[in-house]
Amino acid sequence: MTTAEKSRKKHYKENTARERMISFCGELERWEPRPYPCRCFVLCFRPLCPLANSEFASPSPLRKSTAQPWCCLLRRAAGLSRSSMAALAFTHQNFLQFTPKLTPSKPKLKPKRTKTKLSIQTIPTSPQASFTDQFVLQLADSLEDSLPSSSSLPLQKLRDNSSETLVSTQWPSRKDESFRFTDTSFIKNSDIKPISRPPESLAFLDVSSDAQFKSFDFVDGFLVDSSFDSSNFPDGVYVGSLLKLSSEGILKRVCEFLGDFEWGDLFWSVNGLGAPDVTVVYVPEGCRVENPIYLKYISVEGGDGGSKKMPVSNPRVFVLVEKGGEVGIVEEFVGKEGSECYWTNSVLEVVVGEGGKVRHSYVQRQSLSAAHIKWTSVRQESTSTYELVEVSTGGKLSRHNVHVQQVGSDTVTELTTFHLSVGDQTQDLHSRIILDHPRGYSQQLHKCIVAHSSGQAVFDGNVKVNRYAQQTDAGQLTRSLLLEPRATVNVKPNLQIIADDVKCSHGAAISDLEDSQLFYFQARGIDLETARKALVFSFGAEVIDRLPYAFVQKQAKDHVKELLESTGKGSS
Amino acid sequence: MAWQIQCTASSPPASPPPFTPKCLPPRSLFFTLSATSSSRFCPPHMPSLRSVTCSLSAVESPTSTAGLDDSKTPLLEVKGLTAVIAETKQEILKGVNLVVHQGEIHAIMGKNGSGKSTFSKVLVGHPDYEVTGGSVVFKGENLLDMEPEERSLAGLFMSFQAPIEIPGVNNIDFLHMAYNARRKKLGEPELGPLEFYAYIYPKLDLVNMKTDFLNRNVNEGFSGGERKRNEILQLAVLGADLAILDEIDSGLDIDALRDVAKAVNGLLTPKNSVLMITHYRRLLEVIKPTCIHIMEDGRIIKTGDSSLAKVLEEKGYTSISAE
Ligand SMILES: Nc1ncnc2c1ncn2[C@@H]1O[C@H](COP(=O)(O)OP(=O)(O)OP(=O)(O)O)[C@@H](O)[C@H]1O
Ligand SMILES: [Mg+2]
Repeated sequence: MTTAEKSRKKHYKENTARERMISFCGELERWEPRPYPCRCFVLCFRPLCPLANSEFASPSPLRKSTAQPWCCLLRRAAGLSRSSMAALAFTHQNFLQFTPKLTPSKPKLKPKRTKTKLSIQTIPTSPQASFTDQFVLQLADSLEDSLPSSSSLPLQKLRDNSSETLVSTQWPSRKDESFRFTDTSFIKNSDIKPISRPPESLAFLDVSSDAQFKSFDFVDGFLVDSSFDSSNFPDGVYVGSLLKLSSEGILKRVCEFLGDFEWGDLFWSVNGLGAPDVTVVYVPEGCRVENPIYLKYISVEGGDGGSKKMPVSNPRVFVLVEKGGEVGIVEEFVGKEGSECYWTNSVLEVVVGEGGKVRHSYVQRQSLSAAHIKWTSVRQESTSTYELVEVSTGGKLSRHNVHVQQVGSDTVTELTTFHLSVGDQTQDLHSRIILDHPRGYSQQLHKCIVAHSSGQAVFDGNVKVNRYAQQTDAGQLTRSLLLEPRATVNVKPNLQIIADDVKCSHGAAISDLEDSQLFYFQARGIDLETARKALVFSFGAEVIDRLPYAFVQKQAKDHVKELLESTGKGSS
Repeated sequence: MAWQIQCTASSPPASPPPFTPKCLPPRSLFFTLSATSSSRFCPPHMPSLRSVTCSLSAVESPTSTAGLDDSKTPLLEVKGLTAVIAETKQEILKGVNLVVHQGEIHAIMGKNGSGKSTFSKVLVGHPDYEVTGGSVVFKGENLLDMEPEERSLAGLFMSFQAPIEIPGVNNIDFLHMAYNARRKKLGEPELGPLEFYAYIYPKLDLVNMKTDFLNRNVNEGFSGGERKRNEILQLAVLGADLAILDEIDSGLDIDALRDVAKAVNGLLTPKNSVLMITHYRRLLEVIKPTCIHIMEDGRIIKTGDSSLAKVLEEKGYTSISAE
């Protein structure tokens, strides 16, 4: 471990212990910075969890937290199927609910809620074909009509499967657990129009590009041919359209994995049906790609702020890194100036082969009136590494679904994410890390700032340490900063541990800026407003600093600074 | 007592900014100015008996930089200061009296928990404490009316006993912000990053700090000694009329102590003053105090010259509190 990592780790630990801690397992809570007392409790599955038996005092007179340390050990016999596991989760809920110790601090926990919970956990995702949703059918039709049928077998298969799934999928409502705090009706109530071709003129594309790295540009979901430049890459690396892929070998490998995913939701399927093509990034065995592959997604078609028109694009990228290969992927999402109201519905699939490594940077700075839904699905073979650093600031509604599936032992997974809501925005991260093999290491840090009274941040972070994932080292920390009176954050960090020889920690803190830190600035002559701005910015900078490429980092920093300035919400 | 007379006979309030904090070699002219503003903010008052004691010992002291008694200008006057912990209302300071004149070096000693750090934090306006009584006049102005940043800009600097970490904020950015705040106050143009770097670079040597400390987050992962050096670096960059050094010597190795003491001595001028809190004579031997105060249970119970430190070391605090 490098010193930086160590210090980072230490810092987390200290934070974890020092902050007002609010930890949840399986229970989603709503927090608002109101002058009434917040209740919080700490619940851990492990008796050795550092959070257990700690007292957390709130220094703020506004929000006094009464921490109720709670600990329970979840032991179970081997060989339970998924559904019996759900039953166990249910028992656990009951256990919580009827524990008298908990009752005084958590009177709101009603059986009704538990039931909702149960239904979600028993049915992993595959939607039940109970009845069809007319709206979804129409959408599926218009998506199908918008694209010519494809001669490519794998693409056609993807479309067929997606279409089949869509027929039996409903538009998500607030009743669905995973959309409980994320209102998608804004998309549904718009006039959704699939984009069937890229714009005629691409003159707006920044050819002179000051960026150090040439980007692969997606315009309204279509990869622009002229932006191709594979010559910089080592032999055997392929970056380009699936339709133009000539290598049988690569095609065969891609087909093994493409679209093979049981956890998707409606938006995953919408992309599968609406993607005009699949862009393939292929890194052959043992190949280390020095320069990052920079994917820039630009939305051009779009109505102005108030319009109902909502063109939708469905870019899709598939990354396959063979054994021992290494690559950096930079995804950047932007809207063309003047185009405000649009919907980007993007999917990225990543397969990291044995010992391979993928460094994924994801920067989302869409227009504040846009809808942005993204899926990132990662499959990690043994000893592979996947690192995600995300900075999301745009969109009226922005949702990132991350799914990391471990398919071999000794993997390393790091998710570091930062969400910022400076307007009437919802920023949502739903992440799931599934560990099924021994000695996995996974670290997750999620930070969000809500700087607007009608802004919202949602985080649902699930880490599942299954039966065979012994000696797993998993940590999860989320910190939220609410800067306005009615700003809201909904966090549900949850660690589900079934293996019994693991090291896990988790925690969530919802805080205002720290008085002692503000005072340190003041003591050196810096006024409160400047101090607040610096601290607010630094809160996000902790994540931005981990973007592995300087040019991406600088762009993200400048953008976040600008947004915080523009609202003046760094201060108030 | 010359200052008192000036105070009453001062010019009308149509005055330039009440003070000119010093951050660069050019000296401020606060003597005249403070006399001006004091007429507005504080009624003349008699110095306490203790401060007289202090002045006397200062004269006797060979290290005294202050001139004749009647030419002394008070920089900080604390009278009957009482303060409580804001949250619990527990009283910590129970009537502190202290006068520091220009150019003097004062030391406060006292048992653990006697209120030394609380006193210094109250002076710089720490929000953990509430002042419940007494007065503090700094350069003729009522310090208690000022925001913490105004106190700093007025020329009061405190180096914390336990400086906190500020994750995510770069050390050099922090110093840059603080320095520009000062320049802005002085009506001088702010410095750009490069100019500031040129300004700060030589100061690093002063505290024997490596350049890479500038690019680390403020105090994050710094060792105890490194944090203290960082505080002194801030003092060197910002300058101060009165520097309060809270246990600047604890946690320092012998070399570091010499570096820090050298830096502090290097910053001294006939006009600015130091109030240092320490447990050890070691520091008092390198930064020679004009007088030493002993604090106990929220009060200064004894003031004497530097020989007091020797008595303390030999006989302990019991010999003093017994008096
Ligand atoms: N914010 C606070 N909350 C609770 N107690 C406090 C606080 N600040 C000071 N105290 C208490 O006030 C008393 C004086 O503390 P202070 O830090 O001023 O002592 P000190 O003289 O600086 O001691 P030391 O020599 O150990 O540094 C102590 O008993 C301390 O516990
Ligand atoms: Mg102290």
